[in-house]
Amino acid sequence: MQPLRSYQLLVTWQALRKKNYLPLMMAVQTLFSLGIVLGYPLLFPTLDRTSIYLIATGAPAISMISVGLVALPQTVGEQKTEGSLAYMRSLPVPRLAYLVADLTVWLAIVVPGVVLGVLVGAWRFGLDLQVSPLVVPAVLLVALTSTCVGYALASLLPYMLTVIITQAIVVFVFMFSPLTFLPDKLPGWLEVVHRILPIQAMGEVTRGTLAPNEFGLPVGAFVTLAIWCLLGFGVTYVAMTRRG
Amino acid sequence: MLLEINELTKVYRSGSRANDGISLSVAEGEVFGLLGHNGAGKTTLVNQVVGLLRPTAGSIRIDGRDMVANPGLARRLCSFQAQAQVPIDGLTPRQAIDLLGQLRGASKAEVRMRRDRLVEALELGEWMDVDAARLSGGVKRLVAFAMASVSPGRLVMLDEPTNDVDPVRRRLLWRQVRSLADHGAAVLLVTHNVIEAERSVDRLAILDEGRVIAEGTPATLKARLGAELRLEVVLDPDAAATLVSPFGQGVAVGNRLMIGVPSGSAGDAVAWADSKVRVGLIEEFTLGPATLEDVYVALVGGSQREPLPVKEVLGATAA
Repeated sequence: MQPLRSYQLLVTWQALRKKNYLPLMMAVQTLFSLGIVLGYPLLFPTLDRTSIYLIATGAPAISMISVGLVALPQTVGEQKTEGSLAYMRSLPVPRLAYLVADLTVWLAIVVPGVVLGVLVGAWRFGLDLQVSPLVVPAVLLVALTSTCVGYALASLLPYMLTVIITQAIVVFVFMFSPLTFLPDKLPGWLEVVHRILPIQAMGEVTRGTLAPNEFGLPVGAFVTLAIWCLLGFGVTYVAMTRRG
Repeated sequence: MLLEINELTKVYRSGSRANDGISLSVAEGEVFGLLGHNGAGKTTLVNQVVGLLRPTAGSIRIDGRDMVANPGLARRLCSFQAQAQVPIDGLTPRQAIDLLGQLRGASKAEVRMRRDRLVEALELGEWMDVDAARLSGGVKRLVAFAMASVSPGRLVMLDEPTNDVDPVRRRLLWRQVRSLADHGAAVLLVTHNVIEAERSVDRLAILDEGRVIAEGTPATLKARLGAELRLEVVLDPDAAATLVSPFGQGVAVGNRLMIGVPSGSAGDAVAWADSKVRVGLIEEFTLGPATLEDVYVALVGGSQREPLPVKEVLGATAA
């Protein structure tokens, strides 16, 4: 069986499995975006121009992270526990084809939520975003990095630990990550941590391509994400092919 | 032999020795049963064959080729029905069976033809276009079997294929298992359902605590029991401790006692059991041909129980 044919069939399989899931995920992502763009102005009634752009472009980044680093690890962890991941690994196809097919379907789940997030932000604040042509590869890179790192988490950790860590990620991303504010608001040590973790880079790449006139294109953040993406993919692939 | 397993040992990181020097072989056209209690090491064995687990020691060969070194080839040569339910919620059985057939490299037309035949044979027609999330466990299990057999590999491994399946469709399923072997596949069937296995397998191995404790055809294993008939008695709970069997100790399962009886002693056995019914030691009894279950219980079940409370011998005064 040709790897490409295996990939196509597995994408069909995984997409059919998740088809009932897609509207729910889109609803959750839209709620995330709505919560951010409607909720922040309640907390801070007077927002300056930079803050408005940060909130409007941070919402889609948070929505991608919420799927890749929270929903995905929980789902994959559950599949590990119930044995369905082992079943997929026993199929007569290259494991790489399965992994890439599953990531493709997860990306398809993430992207509509991003578009909705951008629209919600632009509508709430009446923004006229001058989107960069690089927004497509940028969003794909952010979505892919978050899904690969999320997959790696679920592959390495026991299910219960995955659930706990993803809950912690939600709090960390919302409250202590420079997505809807700039990193200089953080304590020095946390600023250093965020220079290493991929979350800040996800925010920078998203806002730098959604509103390039406001924030500029951060080349370093692209590199950081590429490294995390490869790392997440590599760890997941090794876990996928490893025999216990 | 198509599948040859030699001295296979699997020790998990926890230290648990799930397989301990297992050797067995399965030929093309043969249905080979792997019987054992839960935790006997059956699933660990098939997971090593299909490349989900790496053996600690020993070899697995299919058609002479080393499967431990080449797990990708193992997955292509084996069709596998896992013990866990298949992940097909969101798909219809038709979609799931077709996808699996095509993933195994069969053309759409071949898959369609064989799928229709299987669906008819297993009487699955009414569910073919229903979302699998709404199917019962038994129907899903049958769909999983159809997925494994729509384009079978040279080795077909079925791990507890009849779990949750109703008695009528179980028969249909066993017929299809036989048909797989008749069409040239080697079938490795994992089950703890001894009664059904007896009717379906050509040869079998009984696993206990990771070891093969008996192997052969159902007939040779029954011959090892040394009795052609089985006397099964239901003991009166209060009187059980005083019962004596003239034909040996037997094996107790709950308040049932199963005793092997030579075929020439059928009359004596009935007379003895009848006399015990009269004095209230036995509630009821049946005499029939010995089964594979008797062998299994004697080998596996009996070893885990307390010695029988049998104190009398035949001819002594009844209590």
